[in-house]
Amino acid sequence: MSTSLLVPLHVAYIRALGDSKDELSYHLSAHLRMNAVYWGLSALFVMGHEDALDRDEMVDFVMSCWDEEAGAFGAHPDHDAHLLSTLSAVQILLMQNALNRVDIDRVVKFILSLQQPSGVFAGDAFGETDTRFLYCAVNALSLLGKLHELDIEKTVAYIRRCRNFDGGFGAVAGAESHAAQVFVCVAALAILDRLDEVDQPTLCWWLSERQLPNGGLNGRPEKLEDVCYSFWVLSALSILGKLSWIDSSKLEAFILSAQDTESGGIADRPGDMPDVFHTHFGLAGLSLLGYPALVDLDPVYCMPAGIIENLGLTKGWKALQRRTS
Amino acid sequence: MNIPAEEEKPLYSQRPEWADVVPLEQYENVAPLAPIFYTDEYKDATNYFRGIVKSGEMSPRVLELTENIIRQNPGHYSAWQYRYKTLMALKSPLDDELQLMDELAIKHLKTYQVWHHRKLLVQQTRNPGPELEFIANSLQVDMKNYHTWSYRQWILANFNDDALWSHELDFVESMLESDVRNNSAWHHRFFVAFQSGVRNGDEDRDAIDRRELAFVKERIAIAPNNASAWNYLRGVLDHAKIPYSELQAFVLPYSLPQPPLGTPPEVVDLESPLPSKDSQLPCVAAVEFMADIHEAAGGGDLVKATELWKSLANEHDTIRKRYWEYRIAESLKTRSAGDG
Repeated sequence: MSTSLLVPLHVAYIRALGDSKDELSYHLSAHLRMNAVYWGLSALFVMGHEDALDRDEMVDFVMSCWDEEAGAFGAHPDHDAHLLSTLSAVQILLMQNALNRVDIDRVVKFILSLQQPSGVFAGDAFGETDTRFLYCAVNALSLLGKLHELDIEKTVAYIRRCRNFDGGFGAVAGAESHAAQVFVCVAALAILDRLDEVDQPTLCWWLSERQLPNGGLNGRPEKLEDVCYSFWVLSALSILGKLSWIDSSKLEAFILSAQDTESGGIADRPGDMPDVFHTHFGLAGLSLLGYPALVDLDPVYCMPAGIIENLGLTKGWKALQRRTS
Repeated sequence: MNIPAEEEKPLYSQRPEWADVVPLEQYENVAPLAPIFYTDEYKDATNYFRGIVKSGEMSPRVLELTENIIRQNPGHYSAWQYRYKTLMALKSPLDDELQLMDELAIKHLKTYQVWHHRKLLVQQTRNPGPELEFIANSLQVDMKNYHTWSYRQWILANFNDDALWSHELDFVESMLESDVRNNSAWHHRFFVAFQSGVRNGDEDRDAIDRRELAFVKERIAIAPNNASAWNYLRGVLDHAKIPYSELQAFVLPYSLPQPPLGTPPEVVDLESPLPSKDSQLPCVAAVEFMADIHEAAGGGDLVKATELWKSLANEHDTIRKRYWEYRIAESLKTRSAGDG
């Protein structure tokens, strides 16, 4: 159990992800590889150690995932292009100052081709639809400076249909409110300057209700706490200006207690095995909570705040003041 | 139906009937940031998968190969896609495929592709009936699975057959009997009752509102500390445009530390079922509800609302202290605006 953030250990943990390991689960997650690289890099940025991974190697890897037929990025070489991996690729290249390697027009074409008549986005030609993909599309188009090519009204109309009686948002119209889906819908609306579509009093109350007595956050009523909700819930609240409604010291203590004090990394909850996904979102949550010596993270784009600022894309969100100790 | 046994099978590279396929290695020209460590079996299968994708082969042995990959790694979305295309090209019997999917779905409930593949198949077979039973069975394994409930919604809404809908409320009720705190079930009930159009026999919307109010009150009585039920109650009232104040008689006992003195236990008021014997009182959601009633009443009631919010901030729901203080501050603004 630790009551402080073990930065050097987490940096080492992320670096070690690039080494060959005899973990079966590692290669079975090839379909997440692009996302995993993004989570690793973003986590390093938050800790101020973005140089811990070789830049050229990373950029070459991203480009090796280019799907020439589709004009976008897959999760791994020889994997078909997908919106999830395309967003991660764009984010990585931006963070590595290598966006010039990308055929932006083709990527934009790919993204726009996935919008359905209802306004939702499919993830790929296979057709699975989800507001997560809508967020990936809106985020990527915005980062590429091509948001004006999107049918914004149509996109917003679909998000509106995903709004539930409890103020939350689901994965598709009619689906149960879930904190991760709340994040993608609220963040997409923030990028589109349409936060007026949110029933703010009800949703912010619903989000604050995610906090359990142990300090951790869950994703929907009567479910277990999980470190990753530290980001999904916190980011939505910071975008809506109500981050103070979470008991921050209890949440911090919860996230810190989920650290693996031997191998580094952060798990979904104390005692479980760490992974790069929870490491990233635990750190992202701590950054929004003002944990000392971390770098500011933009909750709308889930990227270093400085980079988003330089692109002129910053929206009106509020994190907690960064503490000095 | 031939379900392959979990036995030692020769690698594809060792099988003579696959000798005509050129396997393609994982792209190794670039030193990958996150190199993959393969088991021989997975490497072999995916090498042959890349081979047949390149040649565009769509044949029964491709179905065997993609099934092999999916069993080892249900997240391999390209394998799913290619399998679906092959099924269509071969005009394979989709009911057999669904049966195979029944087995895989139970093993890999949290994998998106499993459900999406099923959806594509049912869109072809146009036979949604058996799906409801399949969904009910898989929910027994994981009662709150997000994909499963969403898939059930899709089956109902997409085919929109009165026969499909007819047992839905009973189904939700049985799920809530197993776990009255199943938020997915409550959400589904709201969908069935209020957000899926008006079916034959449900034309009297007032009757539906009354039925649902009675239902949720009974569930609150059984287990008052249940956020989902209180959210549902608010949802029904908002939908039916019933002011919260009309529920005051029902809610009040739940917001107090103990059952009102002098209430004979045998009295049953159907409109206002009392908290069950072992309930933990006061119930936070009930205190919150009473505060909302007083706030809406305005005037002198704002003082009562503030007292309740203070009790939440300082005693009953301290983790959300900041939120309750916000409510107090907001109502003070209203009060001074009113006095000014």
